[in-house]
Amino acid sequence: MIIASAGIRSMIGKRKFLGLLLLAWLPFLIEAIRFYFAANYPQAAMILGATRESYREFFNYQAFFVFLITIWVGSGLIANDKRANALQIYLSKPLTRAEYVAGKLSILIVFLLLVTWLPAMLLLVLHMLFQGNLDFIRANLLLFPAITLYSFLQVLLAAFTMLALSSLSNSSRFVAILYTGAIFFTDAVYGVLYAVTGNTSFSWISLSGNLRQVGNIIFRMKPVYPDTPWLLSLAVVVGMIVVSTVILDRRVRGVEVVS
Amino acid sequence: MAHENTGVSGGQQTERAQPQGAASLSTGVMRVFDLSLGQMLWSRRTVFMALVVAAPMALALLYRILHASFGDPEVNGQAVRGTTLFGMTIWLLYLRFIVPILGVFYGTSLIADEVDDKTITYLFVRPIPRRSVLLGKYLAYVVSTVCVVLPSVMVVYFLTTPFDLRIIAQSFPALAKDLGLLGAGLVVYGAVFAFVGTRLGHPLVLGLVFAFGWEQFALFVPGYLRRFTVMYYLQALVPHAMPQDSAMSVLQSVFREVPSALQCIGWLAAIWAVFLILAAVTIERREYVLEQ
Amino acid sequence: MTVTIATDARPIVQADHLSKWYGQVIGVNDITVAVPPGVTGLLGPNGAGKSTFMKLMTGQLKPSKGAICVLGEPVWRNPRIFGRVGLCPDQDAFYERMTGADWLAALVRLNGYDEKRAKDAAHRALETVDLLEAAGRKIGSYSKGMRQRVKLAQAIVHDPELLILDEPLAGMDPIGRRRTIRLIREWAREGRSILVSSHILHEIEAMTSSILLINNGRILAEGDVHQIRELIDEHPHTVYVKGEDPRRLARAFLAEDDVIGLKFEDQAVVVQTSRPDAFYARLTELAASAEAGAVSEVTSPDDNLQAVFQYLVK
Repeated sequence: MIIASAGIRSMIGKRKFLGLLLLAWLPFLIEAIRFYFAANYPQAAMILGATRESYREFFNYQAFFVFLITIWVGSGLIANDKRANALQIYLSKPLTRAEYVAGKLSILIVFLLLVTWLPAMLLLVLHMLFQGNLDFIRANLLLFPAITLYSFLQVLLAAFTMLALSSLSNSSRFVAILYTGAIFFTDAVYGVLYAVTGNTSFSWISLSGNLRQVGNIIFRMKPVYPDTPWLLSLAVVVGMIVVSTVILDRRVRGVEVVS
Repeated sequence: MAHENTGVSGGQQTERAQPQGAASLSTGVMRVFDLSLGQMLWSRRTVFMALVVAAPMALALLYRILHASFGDPEVNGQAVRGTTLFGMTIWLLYLRFIVPILGVFYGTSLIADEVDDKTITYLFVRPIPRRSVLLGKYLAYVVSTVCVVLPSVMVVYFLTTPFDLRIIAQSFPALAKDLGLLGAGLVVYGAVFAFVGTRLGHPLVLGLVFAFGWEQFALFVPGYLRRFTVMYYLQALVPHAMPQDSAMSVLQSVFREVPSALQCIGWLAAIWAVFLILAAVTIERREYVLEQ
Repeated sequence: MTVTIATDARPIVQADHLSKWYGQVIGVNDITVAVPPGVTGLLGPNGAGKSTFMKLMTGQLKPSKGAICVLGEPVWRNPRIFGRVGLCPDQDAFYERMTGADWLAALVRLNGYDEKRAKDAAHRALETVDLLEAAGRKIGSYSKGMRQRVKLAQAIVHDPELLILDEPLAGMDPIGRRRTIRLIREWAREGRSILVSSHILHEIEAMTSSILLINNGRILAEGDVHQIRELIDEHPHTVYVKGEDPRRLARAFLAEDDVIGLKFEDQAVVVQTSRPDAFYARLTELAASAEAGAVSEVTSPDDNLQAVFQYLVK
């Protein structure tokens, strides 16, 4: 709790970061305005009307902000402690490694949920308020669990991956680049294979592609990559979280043995 | 407590060599280049760079093995030709990812790393102009990245191109263009992000926003916005067909304008010169307050 | 209160109404000082402005107001000056993957040395700081004391005429400290001027009696520590006198009005006097005549940097 609250307070104290958080709510604002017009002007409803897909799309808009916030907040979470030799100090206190990792994860998770789950839920509530009835909600009850499940999956994947990478180095800049590579490079490699073969069966290579695939399934939409089983995509996402946990277990130690 | 007078008048004077004045810009640049090149090449960053350029080489090697064993591999009834693979690799891996990411990674950290590590003091208290520190490191970045990336492109080319002298002769000019434009990309992105690194806080985040946010968005939107990107001019020089790997790519290809090669080279040279000069001016005038 | 002792020599560092602030925080506040050649100690508590002042001297910071000249030349954006100045900064920062020898050679090449000359200079500098054995090892494997010594080596490798040393003894063991103090005195005898900062008073005293006392960004005193002490005449002088009969000594001391207070300690009497010259004259007579018993020890805990520092900084 202390690590989490201290980390959150220190990030909130940075004006530029607050600016980024505000910017991350811009898609929410645009969507809210769209829903308002759709609810109050029947002519606009045909073009601007909200559907289940709109909420799925919203997460696509937020993906870049999730990436930026993960980099900004997450790259130095453990790397900076390693650099300052603070890891040994933390773990010499009555604090277990699990508590330390949980505290660090919480910092990232809180900010990521702030730009994914919270605005999506608020959008749903606003939608209902603008419409003045529960018709849409009743017809799309699955949206509540879908938004929650997908946000948490997206956030957990980003947080665990970033934290694991952060534990591998004492340079936050290097960690940020490794994470960028994990996201964009895997996407680019899949892009080459798809462009050459016209086939989506290699989409499991792309980390963000797997998340997109699982996201569509959660929202009961058609898979993004028809040639890749969604279970494989889910296995890659879960596998990534597991591998990250193993890395954190190995790397977060009070004493580093240098051979 | 007794205190000895240790003033100049007290003791022996040793003969001291006349100190040199400030070194010229070019001498300073070359000396910093010597110091930085080894550091850049034999560092963890190079491991990252090697991994990143290894992926296209691995894909090309896999293709070569499949081609040698089974002829042109087919996926879903479609033959996977080596030249297509090479073209897509240039577009999607080298141009859209490797070149910008290396520019961001190295360019933003030329000075920022020295500031974070607090080693910049040692460079700034030598009789060399401050801008020679930046320019020397920039030169080391260009040499390191060009010496790793361009040979990997050639490896991918030779692995994906059939060993037929006629085909090689036909496609070699395109390879030369690819090497030129990728080299130009490294040089120009490096200059842009060198300025970002010397001038702005959080240069890495800003660099990523520019390379993977702004450039993607601006290229997608019809109009003049795309001219405020580096990628617009680089893409115009690519001799291979644009990929259609995603909706964004399809839309980009629909709205694509292709300025002349001369225009592109001119604008790239101008961007390079402006940002490098700005970076040099910034480092001369800026104070770098190190964290205590 | 600022106390200044005048000197004749051309100053190595000249600051004229020099100020530096970072937003709302004042690092250095309207300093006007001329530092003479020789060894000068820059003394002050943590956060006093010593490092800021040194950074202004070495062109790492630009003055917010006023001017500073080193060896007669302005510093900011004047790299030429660094051929004559060597800096040992306070931060523990190196290119950890380089060996000591390679690092020094690479840095001194920036001074215009060719490869051979750079290697020779690096070798000499490492020999001076007694690091030749570790020259081929990576700096990342050095102990704290070795890291401090290689930093010193970097400051002298190009044989500068002015050395600016920011907390050069930090992290050193007692033997290392003594060795370094001896080196500093040797360098001064060789004709170099040295400005050395510290908050450890007895170390500065071991190196020099010429000090600049700084606190809250201001120079409180500059000059010889003894002369400064004498000029602070509002502050009574303390003298510790140990003898066989402290009470008889006390009665003799209280006979005159130059003694304004005294207390007893183990076999000794500690006197507060407003006129130390007169008191010492009486004490000499008393000791010679043994009227108040034999006097075995006379010291002045006041006539040192600690007392000056504590008084002025309060």
